[in-house]
Amino acid sequence: MKLKLLFVGMLAFWVQSYGQSDYSSHSQLTSRLKALTAKSRLASVTSIGKSSGGKDIWAVTLSGGEHSKNKAVLIVAGADGRHPAGTEMAAKLAERLVSLSGDSLAALLQKRTIYIIPGLNPDALEQVTARLKYERSGNATTRDDDRDGKTGEDPFEDLNGDGLITHLRIEDPTGTYISAKDDARLLVKADAGKGESGKYLLITEGTDNDKDGRFNEDGPGGVNIDKNFTFNYPMFEKEAGEHQASEPETRAFLDFLYKNTNIHTVFHFGLSNNLSEATKFDRANASKRIISALQEKDANVTDAVSKMYAKAGISDAPAMSQTAGNLTQTAYYHAGRFSYSTPGWWVPKAKDAEKKPTPPAKKPEAGGPEAEYLKWADAQGLNTFVPWTKIDHPDFPGKNVEVGGLMPYALHNPPVQFLDSAVIRHQAFFTDYLKAMPRTEIVNTKVESLGNGVNRVTVTLVNKGLLPSYPEIGDRVRYVYKVSCKIKLSEGQTLISGKLNNYRSALEAGESEEYSWLINGKGKITVEGGSPTSGISNLELTLK
Amino acid sequence: MKKIILLLISLTAFHLKAQKSDIASEDLNGIRAIGSPANPKVKVYWNKYSDHAEIYRICNDLAKAYPDLVKLESIGKSVEGRDIWLMSITDFKTGQPDRKPGFYIDGNIHANELQGTEVALYTAWYLAENFQTVDFIKELLKDKIFYIAPTISPDSREYFIKQANNPNSSRTGRLPMDDDGDGLIDEDLLDDLDGDGNIVMMRRKSPTGRYKVDCDNPQRMVLAKPDEPGEYEMLGYEGIDNDGDGRVNEDAVGTYDPNRDWGWGWQPDYIQRGALYYPGMLPETKAVKKFILEHPNIAGAQSYHNYGGMFLRGPGAADDEKYYSRADVQVYDYIGKLGEKMVPGYNYFVIHKDLYTVFGGEIDWLALGRGIFTFSNELMTSYKLFNKNSQEGRFQNTEFEDFDKLLLFGDGYVKWKPFKHPQFGDIEIGGPKKNYIRNHPGFLLMEDSHRNMAFTILHAHQMPKLEVVEARKKDLGGGLTEVTAIVMNRRVIPTHSAHDVKYKIERPDYISLKNATVLAGMVVENEDFGITTEQKMNPDKLAVENIPGMGFVKVRWIVKGKADNVSVEVDSAKGGLVSRKLQ
Repeated sequence: MKLKLLFVGMLAFWVQSYGQSDYSSHSQLTSRLKALTAKSRLASVTSIGKSSGGKDIWAVTLSGGEHSKNKAVLIVAGADGRHPAGTEMAAKLAERLVSLSGDSLAALLQKRTIYIIPGLNPDALEQVTARLKYERSGNATTRDDDRDGKTGEDPFEDLNGDGLITHLRIEDPTGTYISAKDDARLLVKADAGKGESGKYLLITEGTDNDKDGRFNEDGPGGVNIDKNFTFNYPMFEKEAGEHQASEPETRAFLDFLYKNTNIHTVFHFGLSNNLSEATKFDRANASKRIISALQEKDANVTDAVSKMYAKAGISDAPAMSQTAGNLTQTAYYHAGRFSYSTPGWWVPKAKDAEKKPTPPAKKPEAGGPEAEYLKWADAQGLNTFVPWTKIDHPDFPGKNVEVGGLMPYALHNPPVQFLDSAVIRHQAFFTDYLKAMPRTEIVNTKVESLGNGVNRVTVTLVNKGLLPSYPEIGDRVRYVYKVSCKIKLSEGQTLISGKLNNYRSALEAGESEEYSWLINGKGKITVEGGSPTSGISNLELTLK
Repeated sequence: MKKIILLLISLTAFHLKAQKSDIASEDLNGIRAIGSPANPKVKVYWNKYSDHAEIYRICNDLAKAYPDLVKLESIGKSVEGRDIWLMSITDFKTGQPDRKPGFYIDGNIHANELQGTEVALYTAWYLAENFQTVDFIKELLKDKIFYIAPTISPDSREYFIKQANNPNSSRTGRLPMDDDGDGLIDEDLLDDLDGDGNIVMMRRKSPTGRYKVDCDNPQRMVLAKPDEPGEYEMLGYEGIDNDGDGRVNEDAVGTYDPNRDWGWGWQPDYIQRGALYYPGMLPETKAVKKFILEHPNIAGAQSYHNYGGMFLRGPGAADDEKYYSRADVQVYDYIGKLGEKMVPGYNYFVIHKDLYTVFGGEIDWLALGRGIFTFSNELMTSYKLFNKNSQEGRFQNTEFEDFDKLLLFGDGYVKWKPFKHPQFGDIEIGGPKKNYIRNHPGFLLMEDSHRNMAFTILHAHQMPKLEVVEARKKDLGGGLTEVTAIVMNRRVIPTHSAHDVKYKIERPDYISLKNATVLAGMVVENEDFGITTEQKMNPDKLAVENIPGMGFVKVRWIVKGKADNVSVEVDSAKGGLVSRKLQ
C-alpha cells in the first residue's frame, strides 16, 4: 500500500532516463512469440505450464518434422528475473532463426529440433516495464522472506521519486563502507588490513517499516526459479522457496525436460557461466555418492564445446560460478543432459586491454565489475547511475543520507540494441553446435545365409557426430533413454541367437558397436538403432 | 517430569464414570474387557485388512455416529482418482478445532504395508468410542486435534488387495512409467500363473541347480552345502517374459517409491532408488503436503510403515545429523524409550544409523522441512511370533515356517505345486502368501494396533499444552502499572523445535496484553537480576521464539493507567490459544 501511495506521488517526476524500458514485459514477449508462427511454418508456440501468478510459460518449437522424434537442444532464459537480457537474447534468437531463408532453416533443422523457452519466470519479467523498478528475481508466490510470520511487511520505498529502487548511503560512525578508489561513485567495504576505516552505511532504498532494524527485508517476496531447482538446493534461503522444485515454473521446466527425452543439451542464458572455459575434471567429487563434479568424459566434452564457443567470436566472458539450486546444474546432475550457461552479454573489454592482456594474478579493480561497467557505460553515454543526492530520512534523523547508485538491472542488462551483436555470435555458435550433435547410424549391414533357412544378420551402430550420444552421467539417470539396437521379427521367423533388444552406454563421438543375430525364417526384418538424443534410425533387411 | 508420570498413571487409573458405562451396556452379554469400549456404536472387526470401500465405511460411520468428534474430508485424489480420506478428531465443542495442537497420522504410504491403515483406523475408532468413558481421552480431545489419513496410497492398496501380488510387491504407486527405457509403458507385469491372487516363487528341477528342499520343512528352499549337489534352480517370482526381451517382470506399473517424493534432501533415482523427477510429483504427496502446510498447528506426526518393530526418527541421511540438536533429541529419546516399554520387541532407532539411508522421505520433510516432531513406526516384527528374537538371521531361521505350522496350521503358504510354464517348461510354484510375513496374522493385529496407538497417543499427549500460570499487576505510581505474566508449557514438546528456532520455520509465539495502553513490553530473562529484553515495535504483542517443553516464558508490560479488565492472550501456531483475565 505504502508503495502505491509513494508511487502516485512521484509520477510527476518520472523521467524516462534509461533504456531498460526497451525490454519486453511478459505480455509483449507473448505477442512477439506468437508472431513467429506467422513467419515460418516450422515454428510453433505452446504453453508448458503457468507461473504462480497464472501467466503462461511459452516454449517455441522449431522443427522440420515430428519434433520429439529428432534430437534436440533446449535454449532457456529468464529463470532469474534479474536477467531480462537473457530473455531478450533468446527471443531475438528465435526471431532471427525464423527469418532465415526457408532452405537454411530447414537445413539447420535436418533431423534436429530446437526448443526455446525465453521467459521461464513470467511474473518477474513483468517488472521490467513496471513504473517502479527494482531488481525482482522472484515469481508471484507469497513468501515470508525474513521468516517472521508476516509477509511483505517491509518493502522498498522510492524515497527520491525517480521510479527506481537504488541505494542509500548514510554517513555514520558505524559504517563499514568507503568510496572506491577507481570510481568514487561506488562504495566498497573498508579493508582494515590496508588501514582503511568505514565511513558509510549502505542499504537499499527504503525505510524500516517494521522497525526491526533491518531495511526492506520482506517485500513482495517471490521465489527465484534459478534457486528452486533440485541440485544443491539452498534450503531456508531467501527466494529459494518452500522446498526443492516447489514452484510451478520449476516443475513445468523439469516436466518438459524429462518428458522430452530427445533433449540432448540445455543452454541457459542466465547469471552463471560454464561455457567460455572448460570445466576441469575433479575425480574426488565426480565419484562421491552425491556426485558434484562432471564425469570424466563429460569434462572432456566441455573442452571441445568451449573452443567452439570461442570460435564463434565470443570472448572475454566473465567468470560467474554456478549457484546453489540452479537450473544449469540440475539439468546435468539430475536430468542427465549436457548443460551450459552463459550470461550472453557482458561489458566488453576495452580495446587497448586486448592488446596487452593483464597478468592473470592481478586482483580485480577495487570497484569490481560495477566499476568496469561504469567505465564502459560512461564511454557509451549511458546514463545508468543515479548521482548521490541528499534526502531526509525518517529512520536517520539529522544524518547525512543520500540516495543513489547503479540503476536496477543495469549491470547485466544493457539497452537492448547492445545485445544484437551478442545474439549474432551466439546464433553462429548454436549453428556450429547443432552440426556437431551426435548422429547414430546403422552401417555395414550384412545378411549371411548359413543354409536351411538360418541367417546371420550383422549390423554396426556408429555415432558419426562430433559429440557423445548423451553425457556419461546420463547412463546413471533412469529417465535418460539408453542407446539401443533392436530387431523386430515378422511372422514365422524365430530368433536362435542374440537378443531382441540390446542396450548399451552412451556412444562417444566416432564410437561404434557391432551386433549380430541368428534368425530362422524368411522375409523382412527391421533393425532399429540409436537413442532419442542422438537420433534413431530404422532399416529393413531381407532374409535369404 | 513428575506431571507426565502422574498423567500416565491416570491413563490406567480406575474411573467411576467408566464403571457406570460398563453397567449401562445393554447388548453386552457379559462384562466389558478393560481397555475396550463396551458396546461401540461403530462395529469393526480388527482382525482383517480393509479395502478402500471398507475404509470409507468405517470413517464415514464414525463421522455419522460422532458428529461432534469426527469429521471426514477428502484431501485430494490419487493417481487413479480415489479419494484420500482424512478424519479430523477432536472435541469440536471445545475451543477452535484447527487452533489446537494437531497430531497428524498417516499409514500405508507403501501400499503393501497394509497394517498402518488398520492402526490409524483403530486409533480413530478408539478415540471416538472412548471419549465419553475414559477421562484421559476426553481431556486429550479437548486439548488436541488428530488428523488421521488411514491410507495415502489408496490405489496401490486396492491393487495389493484385489490383484495378484507377493509380500513385497505394490510398494510403488500406480503412475504408469517406462521402467526399462524401451519406450513402452508397463509392458511386463507380474503374472499370476495359477490365478490364486498370490505371486509366489518358481522353482525347477535341474541337474545344475544349487538349491534343495529343507528336510525339516518342505516349504522351505535352502542352498545345498558347498560340496553337495543341488536339486532345484530358483527362477524368481511367478511370471512370464511378456515382451520377449529375455527378462521376466521387469516393467511393472510404477515401481517408484512414494516415500522418496518429499522435499527435504531429495536426491535423484541413481542416488536414491525410487525417486521421480523432483519431489512432490505425485498427487498423493501434493495432497498431504498441502494439508500439512495449511495446518501449521500440527506439532507431532506419525507415519506407519512395516516391517521390523521400530520407532524410527530422522534423519534419513547421515549428513543431516547436524540438524538434530541435543534439545530435540532429548524429546525423541523420552518418547522413543517409553515406546520400547509399551510395545515389546520394538526398538527406538534412527533411520540412517539403524535402518538405511533415505533421501527425500516423508519423515524428513515433516521433521526438518516443517519442524514437526515425527516418528515412523515399522509395524510387525518376528519377535511377535514366539515373543523372542531369533538368534539367527532372517533367511537362516525358520520362525515363519514354524509359526505357520504350529499356530496357523499351514494357512501362511501356497504349497509347492507343478505348473507348465510357457517359457520355463515344467516348473513348480509355491511360497508365502502375499499377506503373510510383513503383515500381522489376524490375532496379533488388534493387540499391536492398540500398543502402537498407545505409543502415538503418548507422543500426541506430549505436544505443547500452554497455560498462563501467573498474571499479576503492580502499581508503579505516576499513573503506570506493571503487568507480569508467566506462560508455561506443561508438556515435553516445545512450541518450536530447536531446529525450527534456528531456521525460523514457524512464526514466533505471540503473547499479547489486551485492553491496555501498553507503553513498553519486554521478555523477562531473569527476574532476580532484573534482566529483560525490550521489544520496541508493537510492545503489546510480544513475539517469543519458543516456549520450551516443561518450561516457561515470563513477560512484562508497562501500562498506562490502572490496567483494569486486561487479559493476557497467548497465540502459538503449534501450542494453541490460551488467555487469562487479570483480576
